[in-house]
Amino acid sequence: MSFLEDITPVLAQRFGVENLTAQDRARHGYDLRLALDQERLTELVGLLKEAGCYLEYITAVDQGQVLELLYFFGRYDQPPFRLQVKVAMPKGVAVPSLAGIIRAADWQEREVFDMFGQRFAGHPDLRRILLSEDADFHPLLKDFKPGPEHGGEVVNLERK
Amino acid sequence: MLRKTLTEDSFYLNLGPQHPSTHGVLHLLLKLDGERILECKPLVGYSHRAHEHMGQNRTYLQFLPNTSRMDYLGGLCYNHAYCLAVEKACGIEVPERARYIRTVCAELNRISSHLLWFGAYLMDLGAFTPFLYAFDDREDILAILGEVTGSRLTYSYCRFGGVNRDLNQNFLDGTKAFIPKLRKRLKDYRTLVTKNIIFLNRTKGIGTVSAELARDWALTGPNLRACGVAYDLRRAEPYSIYPELEFEIPTATAGDCYDRYWVRMAEMEQSLRIVEQALGRLPEGPVKAAGVPQWIQPPAGDYHFSYESPRGHLGIYFVSDGGRVPLRMKWRTPSFSNLSILSEILPGTLVADTIAILGSIDVVIPEIDR
Repeated sequence: MSFLEDITPVLAQRFGVENLTAQDRARHGYDLRLALDQERLTELVGLLKEAGCYLEYITAVDQGQVLELLYFFGRYDQPPFRLQVKVAMPKGVAVPSLAGIIRAADWQEREVFDMFGQRFAGHPDLRRILLSEDADFHPLLKDFKPGPEHGGEVVNLERK
Repeated sequence: MLRKTLTEDSFYLNLGPQHPSTHGVLHLLLKLDGERILECKPLVGYSHRAHEHMGQNRTYLQFLPNTSRMDYLGGLCYNHAYCLAVEKACGIEVPERARYIRTVCAELNRISSHLLWFGAYLMDLGAFTPFLYAFDDREDILAILGEVTGSRLTYSYCRFGGVNRDLNQNFLDGTKAFIPKLRKRLKDYRTLVTKNIIFLNRTKGIGTVSAELARDWALTGPNLRACGVAYDLRRAEPYSIYPELEFEIPTATAGDCYDRYWVRMAEMEQSLRIVEQALGRLPEGPVKAAGVPQWIQPPAGDYHFSYESPRGHLGIYFVSDGGRVPLRMKWRTPSFSNLSILSEILPGTLVADTIAILGSIDVVIPEIDR
């Protein structure tokens, strides 16, 4: 029996069958989507870590009022398994950090913070990672417009 | 007493951002007690070029040249991955010949990436000769790929539905001559380096990573396979023509610098096998699908694609609203995760080992920074 067949009933039972959607792997590249409330995130991730999954990446999609956080979990295994965990957050509300459970989450969360301004409660070192420390914007938010006010376009060599 | 004084004397050392052994603009902030490392903080982002932002503000085709500029050593692999991801989302069928050509080119690119790593790594460790040999071999590949792609590093050869143009005779002759040449060279490398006592002392038992630790830090690619996990996306989630080809996934057990070296050297031999098989069976036919729409507009939804780049799991994730420009374009680059493990494995080692460990992880900084 594949890992997917093993884990599906477990996830459905613990996190609600209505939150679990099977996806067409041949087209979308992952097997399952789990819509989750942020309060249950650490519980889920503890379970996945125990089951031998690794955190592939964390990213987000700006949907206007809501920021959709997406966590991808895979396994070093055959047949392949990939789970997308989707946590929809109103902007400005922190989600629990996973860095204490899975080390790979440390940099992934920093990147999401850097690009989207999403805060992660309990992260040991939530600093910008790719942009400079003094940046005052989050460039992957849809209302971000690149321009000279961000210091990127105009170089004034005469300035001290 | 002595111990206490030494601890109080701990100091910070900035390795990089401009340092020849950091392979690009990488900054390691090391807290040292004499020569011993107490803490390491990798600082990245110096070559951030906003590729994801550009991806979300361009059409799918316009973004294609960006792909090879993320990982400049595996540019063709990134081209290939991006085209496969978009084709899968749009349901574009690629002609058989184009699939073979892409695989041949991607594997040659993988070899050239590993060769550069091999040369540069040995130079990091103080051996200059292998660098010259490796660059000689690599130059052959760049010339062969240049024949059809027209570029040396930042390729834009793949297209949605195929490749830009068909292989020419120079490419075929060049590759045919190159395969036995590199096989002979790999033998030379084995006698020159693999059994070299200085090299063994510098790499054996240094920077050891267990399989469990590797999973916690989401390591992939040769770094993971050196820990004994036979996870290769060409086999785990096969794409293109890989299911039809015979090749092995080299793994090692100790997970130290030597094993990471060994796995990459063995991978080059397997890539040669793939190139040889694929060229031997190269089918006739068109190299580009007919009827690929001018504007690529994947149906609304989100799409993930996984690809085995020379450095590990390359993940492309994009969200389409059915329009010409993606709503979100995310790239999970392998070096980003691979590098972060440094803060775990460097403490306790010596500064000299830092170079050996950092080099053995094979990071490409622009791929981390995007």
